Amino acid sequence: MTFSPDRPTMIEFRDVHKYYGDYHALRGINGTIRAGEFFSLLGPSGCGKTTLLRTIAGFEGIDNGAVLIDGKDMAKVPANARPTNMVFQSYAIFPHMSVAENVGFGLRRDPRSRTEKAAAVEEALEMVGLKGYGARAAHALSGGQRQRVALARALILKPKVLLLDEPLSALDKKMREHMQVELIKLQRQVGITFILVTHDQEEALVMSDRIAVMFEGQIAQLADPETLYRRPNGRKVADFIGTMNFIPCQILSETGGRIEVEAKGLGRVMLDEDQVPPARGEGEPVVGLRPETLTMLYPGQEPQERAVAGRIDEVIYFGDMTYYDVFIGGTDVEVRLSMRNVPGRPVLDVGTEVQLAWSPSALVLFR
Amino acid sequence: MNRAPGLKTYAVIYLLFLYGPILILPLFAFNDASIVAFPLAGFTTKWFAEMWADPNLWKALKNSLIIALSTATLSTVLGIFAARSSVRYKWPGKPVVMGFIMLPLVLPEMIVAMSLLIVLLGIGINLSIFTVIMGHVLMCTPFAVAILTSAFQSLDRSLEEAALDLGESAASTFRLIILPLVMPGILSSFLITFTISIDEFIVANFLGSGQPILSVYIFGQFRFPAKVPSMLALGTILVGVSVVLLAIAEYFRRRGIARTGGKDTGGFL
Repeated sequence: MTFSPDRPTMIEFRDVHKYYGDYHALRGINGTIRAGEFFSLLGPSGCGKTTLLRTIAGFEGIDNGAVLIDGKDMAKVPANARPTNMVFQSYAIFPHMSVAENVGFGLRRDPRSRTEKAAAVEEALEMVGLKGYGARAAHALSGGQRQRVALARALILKPKVLLLDEPLSALDKKMREHMQVELIKLQRQVGITFILVTHDQEEALVMSDRIAVMFEGQIAQLADPETLYRRPNGRKVADFIGTMNFIPCQILSETGGRIEVEAKGLGRVMLDEDQVPPARGEGEPVVGLRPETLTMLYPGQEPQERAVAGRIDEVIYFGDMTYYDVFIGGTDVEVRLSMRNVPGRPVLDVGTEVQLAWSPSALVLFR
Repeated sequence: MNRAPGLKTYAVIYLLFLYGPILILPLFAFNDASIVAFPLAGFTTKWFAEMWADPNLWKALKNSLIIALSTATLSTVLGIFAARSSVRYKWPGKPVVMGFIMLPLVLPEMIVAMSLLIVLLGIGINLSIFTVIMGHVLMCTPFAVAILTSAFQSLDRSLEEAALDLGESAASTFRLIILPLVMPGILSSFLITFTISIDEFIVANFLGSGQPILSVYIFGQFRFPAKVPSMLALGTILVGVSVVLLAIAEYFRRRGIARTGGKDTGGFL
């Protein structure tokens, strides 16, 4: 991450509420998005992420609070006067126009001459890799090409903020991964603030400088991808981002910020302050452990920190990786771990007795 | 493909029943006899000449064209407003209001014509082709609304938002994006309402105040057996014109769909 945190604020949400009839869609959104940032709104469907994006664009009014863009309250600014442009989920390519007419649509009120505008259109098309496609009929393009036209059409106006509403969800996996990288490159090139709405946590992790994870109309956690992944601030976020093993535990003692727990199968562990997110009231206490922080030891290999015995219950082969579900410490607690399939490491069978190395610092406590 | 010979026979009989009588029209229009009966007596074009020479026909045709064009224009414009509003906006009482707009579809035409006549006479409005236009607009608007509602419904809402997002006003978005994309629906609506109006008889007869109007004129001519062959000649021309109009409309509709890359969901032809 090359992003520097001292950039100025581009968007600020101040206690934003939105109702659809009785339905409370946004429940007090606070937070800032910085200039030049690649920011993602991530959450399951119905969490309010698209609604929040649309309040920035001006397509949805808000019932309380304020949305500020570049320091200006947007309450009285209509969608067509905001310094934002949007790439729609359906791409919303105008089907009765050519590619060039689509891309140049936003320049209609631009005082520049016809030839200057044509040059700007050509430049925008080149930027998204569609040089020479201007004369084509928009409806004859493939999904990926439509997406690029939508991008060029939005970027040609040089907005302060580019809003992307699940832009990759309609593409197949290969194309999606390709476009993820292209979008990142494009964002670095133009330096515009990008705000992406997605329900795909992997996509958010790959692309974003920072991510706001949303559930039920609220931001559960706003952080950079690594913090979200390593130190989720609650069980819901931990469960939504990646895979997390939840192991029942008992809290033995609290001294200062440090907490000692007895985790089922793992034994006694001392947890540091940063491993204990402040969120409470999420049910019985558990410790969370990511699959890749567990390592299966070769016979005779010594663990660097701690180890636990286990028996393989399930083997899921992915080619480059194998996932194992393992019962640990002679208990009914099952954990999933992922091992890279390197030469010399055979894929083990169900029922094999193994030793798993783990590190107390990889644990997060949820209570 | 001979799994259901019964169905095939049924289809052929159905089409014969539907179009057989219409095929009789040109047959007797060119028949050199004043009674409509077999055997045919020989070929002639004199019925066309007789029809052509009748000044009342031209008056009726002119009135009917004025009525049908005005009706088609008015009901299509009203239909655009109603359909757009019902598809895109929420407002209190919408189901009731839309219900009342669509109601003339199922009301007996005779009742509508009678009540219109009573009301118009009651408030002292003179009957003319304008009152016929009013009646026809009332009857045709539901058809326009039905056709245009489906046209507006097939529009992706994001297209409008995209145009707004790119700096256009609501009015220019309507002109630049919505109107061109619903144009096939507008043409369909115009054509259908035009067709309904031009052959409508009851309202034309009740509210036309004896003005020559094509449908009323044809009905009147049938009282004289000697005029029947020339009316068949007129009918032949009307059928020909209808087919040509329909073909033109369908051509534009298909071209519109091909241009926007949409899926053809059925039309007139």
